[in-house]
Amino acid sequence: MNVITLKNLKKYYRVHQKEPGLLGSIQSLFHRKYYDVKAVNDISFNINEGELVGFIGPNGAGKTTTLKILSGLLYPTDGEVNVLGYNPWDRKPEFQKQFSLVMGQKNQLWWDLPALDSFILNKEIYEIPQAQFDKTLKKLTNMLDLKKILKIQVRKLSLGQRMKCELVSALLHSPKVLFLDEPTIGLDVVMQKKIRDFIKDYNQKFKATIILTSHYMDDVKELCNRVIIIDKGKIFFDGQLNEIIRKYADHKILEIVFNKPIDKKDLRKIKNIKIKKFDFPQAVLAVKRKSANQAASDLLKDFPVADLNITESSIEDIIREVFTGRDLS
Amino acid sequence: MKKYLQIFKISWSDSLVYRLNFIMWRIRSIFWFITVYFFWFAVFTQNDQVANYDRSLMFTYVIGSALLRSLILGFRSSAIGAEIATGDLNNYLIKPVNYFTSWFTRDLADKILNLVFFTLELTLIILIIKPPLVFPNNPLHLLFFILAVLLAILMYFFFSFLISAFTFWYPEHNGWPLRFFMLTIIGFLAGSGIPLDIFPQVIFNIFKFLPFSYFTFFPLQIFLGRLEPNQITFTFSIMIIWSIIFYKLSRIVWKKGLKIYGAYGR
Repeated sequence: MNVITLKNLKKYYRVHQKEPGLLGSIQSLFHRKYYDVKAVNDISFNINEGELVGFIGPNGAGKTTTLKILSGLLYPTDGEVNVLGYNPWDRKPEFQKQFSLVMGQKNQLWWDLPALDSFILNKEIYEIPQAQFDKTLKKLTNMLDLKKILKIQVRKLSLGQRMKCELVSALLHSPKVLFLDEPTIGLDVVMQKKIRDFIKDYNQKFKATIILTSHYMDDVKELCNRVIIIDKGKIFFDGQLNEIIRKYADHKILEIVFNKPIDKKDLRKIKNIKIKKFDFPQAVLAVKRKSANQAASDLLKDFPVADLNITESSIEDIIREVFTGRDLS
Repeated sequence: MKKYLQIFKISWSDSLVYRLNFIMWRIRSIFWFITVYFFWFAVFTQNDQVANYDRSLMFTYVIGSALLRSLILGFRSSAIGAEIATGDLNNYLIKPVNYFTSWFTRDLADKILNLVFFTLELTLIILIIKPPLVFPNNPLHLLFFILAVLLAILMYFFFSFLISAFTFWYPEHNGWPLRFFMLTIIGFLAGSGIPLDIFPQVIFNIFKFLPFSYFTFFPLQIFLGRLEPNQITFTFSIMIIWSIIFYKLSRIVWKKGLKIYGAYGR
């Protein structure tokens, strides 16, 4: 069953340009040049119930804009949007009770009050029955180990503690659909891992449909089977994570450790390779997929190799290459 | 509705968190009163009558406008502009809660808190400086005064919401330029501290049709028993008309604004 459907979605922003400096500021008082920024430019996808989808792309690619449209915050310029059978923009309470949006860089809690106050407010806003509220809150605070900090002013919490509280506050009404916009941003690795485990758990226990954006590939690798990659407002990949490797990685990586010093020039004699790094005793070579075996055997034959390792390019590398090397227009 | 009751409660908790901030806010309001009070005190050492106000009428007017300042011209909802500009509005828009109503609730919570403290302060002030005061001898005037104040609260809220809604188009400085401009105008045209009928008749006639004088001056005129029945009817008619205009306009501007809303903050 499709929980989320996007069809030919477009969102253009009108912005004005200002020349730098005071003169530019004065000019812009009288005459403003406007142009459209195509934040989201004709994207379509469907997401099924219970899917955990990673939504990735560089800064300004249109990820957050898409999530905001799915949440009913932004009015789309064109296209169809459907979440749980509703048009998000109508902002029907029945729809709003079934989803949540968490932004890693935004605070939804009342800054000057303990998190518990915000939770109780959400209980009333989402009309959660007392018994269910108590049960959910207990479960969530246990999962995230939060009991001790619920009564401390939010402004006095650490970033990680606050992020956990944000998650609890967003999940109290047990949403079926969850939009997480960089939920692990700025957190240390231990905390990232905890949040990640929690998201995975929530997805499995509650069959929740989740879209996650993140700049940390670890988040995506660990959580998502399916990824949607977006750049400059357009989707250019939508599929299984390991498909990216098949589709875009035409190289394999050879990691070599040498016994004795060698001349870098000699390495170039091997066919179809590119030296990515040479720092004796180590070298990293990129080799065309088809020639990988040949190159490996040539290396073993002609060079004093102590150790040789053939691996796939990392997803980070592939995506970086794709983003830097690709022109979508 | 239970959710708005909770918003009411959390607003109070929020206001009471910072004791120092809270105390300073009250002191500010007392100082405003003292300044205006002593201005008129000085004037009345030279004259027994200013325009057609005697001492007791004027002091009652000043104390009354101090009350209406904190009751009607509350500034809590000025945060709406900031919420639009910073994108904090998002927190409300994604939840099953009405933004308009929840801010009205917060404003109301604030006004009641104001009223409680104002009453305490006023008692102290009356005990210390014992100013000559007048009270309506017709209970109907008191009733109409209360009604006019309630209507003015609504009217000012709609007006304030309307001003804030323009922040969608001008998010610079959280919408403060326009609000500050309006506050300055209102401070003068509402008759806060200075009754408007001491101005020349021509100017006063213009004030009568502007909404601002109904935030302070006219409700107090009702309290002081200075309006004839037909003038009271006129006052309420103008107030109702302006309330409807501000309400409608604020809804229209809000809806249009939401369509161009950028949900900023990334």
